[in-house]
Amino acid sequence: MGALNRNQRTSAPWRVGVLFSKTGFMSVIEETQLRGTLIAIDEINDRGGVNGRPIEPIVYDPGSEIRSYGQYAKRLMVEDGVSTIFGCYTSASRKAVLPVVERLDGLLWYPTLYEGFEFSPNVIYTGATPNQNSVQLCKALMSQFGNRFFFVGSDYVYPRESNRVMRELVRNNGGTVVGERYLRLEADRSEFVPLVREIKQAQPDVIFSTVVGESTTFLYQAYHDLGLNPKTVPIASLTTTEAEIRAMGYDVGEGHYTAASYFQGIETARNSSFVSHYQKRYGDDEPTNMCLEASYFQVNLFARTLEETNSLDTRQLRTFVMGAEFEAPQGSVSINPVWGHADVWTRIGRANRQGQFDIVFQSQASVKADPYLIGYGRCLENC
Amino acid sequence: MPDMSRADYGHDRWIGTQRPESRAGAEERPRQAGLPAEFTVAVIVERDDNGEFLIRELQRQRVAVRHIWPKPAQIPLQYDAIFCLLSDDLPQRIPWVPGEPSSALILVDDGKAPLNLKLVHNCAAHGMLHYPATARMIQSVLMMAREHFQYERRLRGRIDKLDENLRTMRLVERAKALLIRLKNLSEEEAYNFLRKQAMEKRVTIGAVAAAVIDSHELLS
Repeated sequence: MGALNRNQRTSAPWRVGVLFSKTGFMSVIEETQLRGTLIAIDEINDRGGVNGRPIEPIVYDPGSEIRSYGQYAKRLMVEDGVSTIFGCYTSASRKAVLPVVERLDGLLWYPTLYEGFEFSPNVIYTGATPNQNSVQLCKALMSQFGNRFFFVGSDYVYPRESNRVMRELVRNNGGTVVGERYLRLEADRSEFVPLVREIKQAQPDVIFSTVVGESTTFLYQAYHDLGLNPKTVPIASLTTTEAEIRAMGYDVGEGHYTAASYFQGIETARNSSFVSHYQKRYGDDEPTNMCLEASYFQVNLFARTLEETNSLDTRQLRTFVMGAEFEAPQGSVSINPVWGHADVWTRIGRANRQGQFDIVFQSQASVKADPYLIGYGRCLENC
Repeated sequence: MPDMSRADYGHDRWIGTQRPESRAGAEERPRQAGLPAEFTVAVIVERDDNGEFLIRELQRQRVAVRHIWPKPAQIPLQYDAIFCLLSDDLPQRIPWVPGEPSSALILVDDGKAPLNLKLVHNCAAHGMLHYPATARMIQSVLMMAREHFQYERRLRGRIDKLDENLRTMRLVERAKALLIRLKNLSEEEAYNFLRKQAMEKRVTIGAVAAAVIDSHELLS
């Protein structure tokens, strides 16, 4: 089929679907994922497209409504005739798209960290899974701050599942979970004050947060207002990026920790050119973040693969993307052929007064994806 | 979900409401093997000769048939199987997303338009019937569609169960490790302890494992 594809002479665009929310409570982060996707597509098109054909994105805004992700995925595949979709931040939205791409044999490229324990032949996962962020984070927090953890999260799949993994890590290494609270995804400012009071009373050494979206701001601001000190009881998160720090205010975010594959503050030539390119387009004060970066590099991996297959056929794309490498802003990444997940870097950052993260830990190279925690996660000493 | 009351449809009614035993037995065909007592089928086709034949044939299968026409904006959800005339807008009228069907869907192709395989793909159906249909075709397509639909559902259920088991196994492993360490048991004994507790308390072994882990945390 490859030879046949190569003989086709056409300049018709490669049509792909894009599903990120520009509106609603998830837009803080998803908007940046949309930008990362579009900037990558533009760069590729400026270079002449893929095999002489431009990539044409068909973009829908699910408005942070979980059901809309499934409906728009159906619309993309059925009405727009698209089979490749870039999209989704929350696990709930991914799970809404999953049956559609699985039944109609599409390919979802998912650029977000998530809780692991999933493997679909119709998804390429390019965000970090727990062995690539939680394990190191837990180790660092326990050695520096102590072993009493308070878990706080938004009430949906990801926080509950990722806390399950974190709880296992904490307990297996002699720590305790002194409290665990979930607030609804749309929680407003007033709901966080009593929560932070409760946390204060529990006297943890670390607050581990998997609050996502707009309410991230409310958590950190309530913490700040109630006078807690990040030097003694920091909030540690897997989901608070430069985008959320900017939304809450640099002074509010200062001193708190996040584990991520990518921070804007990575000092490499590759990353500097990525950041300046991004800021030239969207403004000097617009920060980059891990989800934006994953959205950017996965489009590049897709384009490189499409160059080889010269076809959007899901099976061909999937076969050829396995093992594919790309020099991403975070460093060299590749798609792990065992799992269809990306091997990404592990980093821990501490937010500074400029709204950036100072990197306090960095892996030697990219860390192999292990979404089912088969080889990791039991004991911190092994990693 | 939109209201699916009967009033939404221009014309729909139950056909052949009389019980099979009250009808002439001579032309009765044997009921399809394995059909539940009340198997409901919606037939969304025009009531021309072909449509009449399809309805009559389904009645002979002794399933509860309801004819719906003209085609509703949304296909109703409450039927076990649905025969629906294939048209360009059918994917938009299917209320579920592909991969999560609530009924077995059989496309009916009246042969008037050129065959559109992309459209057939997009409907994500379980079977297809072409006019003019024979009695054998109708019987077999209903049986196969129903089987595919149920098989898919069983597979999805199995995947959910596997996911759950995976989580349970991690719990059991950790509880076992705790028991081995704290109570000086062998691996075999630790496992048997968990299993015995689960049987006595009539809960899952995962629940016992979680309780062991939690109580250890409380006490330590």
